[in-house]
Amino acid sequence: MTDNNNFEPKIIGFLCNWCSYAGADKAGTAQTPYPPNVNVIRVMCSGRIDPQFVLKSFEQGADGVIILACHPGDCHYKEGNFLAVQRYRLLLRMLEPFGIEKERCRFDFVSAGEGDKFVRLITEMVDTVRALGPMKIPAQFP
Amino acid sequence: MKTGVYFCKCGTNISDKIDAEKVRDSLAKKYPGIHFKTVDFICSEEGQGAVEKDLAENNIERVVISACTPREHENTFMRMLSRAGLNPYLMQMVNVREQIAWVTEEKDRATEKAGRSIRSAVNRVQLHEPLQKKEIDICPDALVIGAGPAGLKTALTIAGSGRKVILVEKSPVIGGMPVRYEELFPDMECGPCMLEPLMAEILHGQYAQNIELLTMAEVTEVIGSYGNFVASIKQKPRFADMHTCIGCAECIEPCPVSTKNPFNCNLNERKAISFPFAGALPNAPFIDEKLCVTLQGGQCKKCQEACPVENAIMFDDSEKVYERTIGAIIIAIGSDLYDCRKLPNLGYGKLGNIYTSKEFERFMASNGPTDGQIRTAAGTAPSSIAIVHCVGSLDANHKEYCSGICCQYAFKFNHMIEKEIPGTRVYHFYKELVVPGKDEFSLYHHARSNPNATFIRYADIQDLSVSGEGKSNVIQYKDISGKCGSVNADMLILCPAVIPAEESGKLGKVLETARDQFGFFQELHGRLDSAQSKIKGIYLAGTCQSPMDIQKAMNQGMAAAGYILSGLVVGRKLEIQPVNAVVNSERCSGCRVCIGACPYKAISFDTEKEKAIVNDVLCQGCGTCVAACPSAAIKGNHFTNEEILAEIAEVLR
Ligand SMILES: Cc1cc2nc3c(=O)[nH]c(=O)nc-3n(C[C@H](O)[C@H](O)[C@H](O)COP(=O)(O)OP(=O)(O)OC[C@H]3O[C@@H](n4cnc5c(N)ncnc54)[C@H](O)[C@@H]3O)c2cc1C
Ligand code: FES
Repeated sequence: MTDNNNFEPKIIGFLCNWCSYAGADKAGTAQTPYPPNVNVIRVMCSGRIDPQFVLKSFEQGADGVIILACHPGDCHYKEGNFLAVQRYRLLLRMLEPFGIEKERCRFDFVSAGEGDKFVRLITEMVDTVRALGPMKIPAQFP
Repeated sequence: MKTGVYFCKCGTNISDKIDAEKVRDSLAKKYPGIHFKTVDFICSEEGQGAVEKDLAENNIERVVISACTPREHENTFMRMLSRAGLNPYLMQMVNVREQIAWVTEEKDRATEKAGRSIRSAVNRVQLHEPLQKKEIDICPDALVIGAGPAGLKTALTIAGSGRKVILVEKSPVIGGMPVRYEELFPDMECGPCMLEPLMAEILHGQYAQNIELLTMAEVTEVIGSYGNFVASIKQKPRFADMHTCIGCAECIEPCPVSTKNPFNCNLNERKAISFPFAGALPNAPFIDEKLCVTLQGGQCKKCQEACPVENAIMFDDSEKVYERTIGAIIIAIGSDLYDCRKLPNLGYGKLGNIYTSKEFERFMASNGPTDGQIRTAAGTAPSSIAIVHCVGSLDANHKEYCSGICCQYAFKFNHMIEKEIPGTRVYHFYKELVVPGKDEFSLYHHARSNPNATFIRYADIQDLSVSGEGKSNVIQYKDISGKCGSVNADMLILCPAVIPAEESGKLGKVLETARDQFGFFQELHGRLDSAQSKIKGIYLAGTCQSPMDIQKAMNQGMAAAGYILSGLVVGRKLEIQPVNAVVNSERCSGCRVCIGACPYKAISFDTEKEKAIVNDVLCQGCGTCVAACPSAAIKGNHFTNEEILAEIAEVLR
């Protein structure tokens, strides 16, 4: 693992506008530091996250992808996050045959108040992906 | 495309952590000749002015604002673009302050991340399309379904603003449940006295001409959406003309047919032509078609002969169907009570002298079956009365929620019993006592200080068992401490859980409006928007949404009216946000997956063309259907696949 210590993973974070993005902002107003490896792509709802966004991210060199949504029942659009969870499960099944570790693609819920949770998830994600090392993209990736 | 990047320093909030010069260099490497400007505070009046001027002077076509979170100032900056003559959607914000400057420890890495994020925004914004708000004409009028306290308040409020209101009531009377109560908690105000002025306003007040009241009517179909619904309303014949009838009641006595009176909970009889109860409004009788001799083809017409007014009784009245255009709909159909027969240990329906609270209200009403006297079936005043609280409420085997009003009316009953038959023993069997609010405590204290009142707390309603013995019932109980005992009660009053109205399911289907796990109409948001349903333009008022007292029902009626008055403004068009889903019908395969994915029922299916259609008014722009479409036939405006992928591509470069 020591040889990964200098490796700075590139991670894409898909955040819905209403809860998880607001949670990230909350960490900002609290000025809680976390590693800068995650670049946030804002969508209105986690239900907008097309599995191809995740696949494309991996294909283009992301070492990890983290999807954050409103807690169940809190989706601003009622049920977009349920669909997002379903699609995430599907995604994991799509990644498996390519030998992509499932830890590279994470799904979680962050509320607008959970700045601390956001920081914890991002830190964990960066540590996990750093430990896994750079992503080796298989030849016939979709 | 000439792109301008405006980098807000936010005092030192951003500039302390992020080296603007380095960001500029990294941008210029990728996008030579890009227009880059730092501004002290873009959100300030001066900052906005400077950017506006700069945009115009440099003929900027696409804009990236690197500043704070878009959740704070995206709208501010969109307006700024509009003022500068640019379409407001040709902008992308980068949240450098909350998500980079404030949270990244090392300046180098913060600068690197900011540069990367801004480059990605530049890449994305090239693909942005100018989007236009659409405007549609609206009808500011409203349909109110249910004429109880909540519906009446809504109708009056909307009518008072000069709009038309169609008020549809299923029964022949208006006023809902409380017109059946003699007195009201928490102040023991007389029920009819409180409601009659309100009902008079509806029928004959200053704005009555704006209100079209349709009693004995129901809404059978609704099409369209917010701003432009068309409702079909079916009205049963009343056989009495509300406008010519003078309400003298001369017609009642001669009628030869009698039946149980449901308005008095079947506790007395009424005629085939009758008033639901004395003082019922509108002040005109109705004829029960199934019972009336004449309407059943026989010879009678005694009521018509007795009537002093010509044409007030109309045997040739018939069912009518109305079609009305409205902009908004308010559901105010109230609630029902849980069937006490589902708790057989309480004896309801099997033993005598056991009544529901609603039935007991009629005993105490001066226009009720006993003229306001509390009497047992034998016609005597009871010497002991047991009031069982929480019947079916707070009970996982029945209804899990607390109905919230029962304790209060139980203490109201306590008060009324004490006044009407002093010295009566009253037993309160309860699971929990709930009396919130600043006025409600006084009836509670009154009951507690009644020397003839006994409070017995049980843990489970199954620990009560009622059996009949002679003219009195015996209640055997185990209290919460495990102590067993029994009391005699000449009369039992059960306080059943408040449950959704019988017709909630049917109406929910007609309006395609969601109901919650209990069957109450589901609010958009429990705290923020409890008077709004999940369908835009359909509002909720009163106990159809949740158990509540009259105060809350009236408030919710006002709240529902408020949404309509501010959302559908006379003379103003309805603005439709362009950030929504658009179907490309050439690509649409007609699979209908999107229809199931949409949480707002905004997508319908054109069966002729076999294509999905998005209703702009209902679409909220979440993009769930866009991600669901297997043919990539739906575009999510402002969050298109291409835009998002461009953002990803540049971030990872
Ligand atoms: C026994 C008892 C005593 C109470 N005492 C008090 C009290 O003292 N003080 C107090 O503040 N609260 C009291 N409450 C609560 C009070 O009754 C409610 O808060 C109030 O009735 C709610 O008003 P609403 O307009 O929501 O519903 P409702 O009063 O139930 O009115 C609904 C109306 O809609 C009509 N309707 C139903 N279905 C349809 C349909 N499909 N189409 C058209 N119309 C329809 C009904 O006929 C009715 O007229 C008591 C409740 C009970 C059960
Ligand atoms: S808005 Fe956050 S998951 Fe839908």
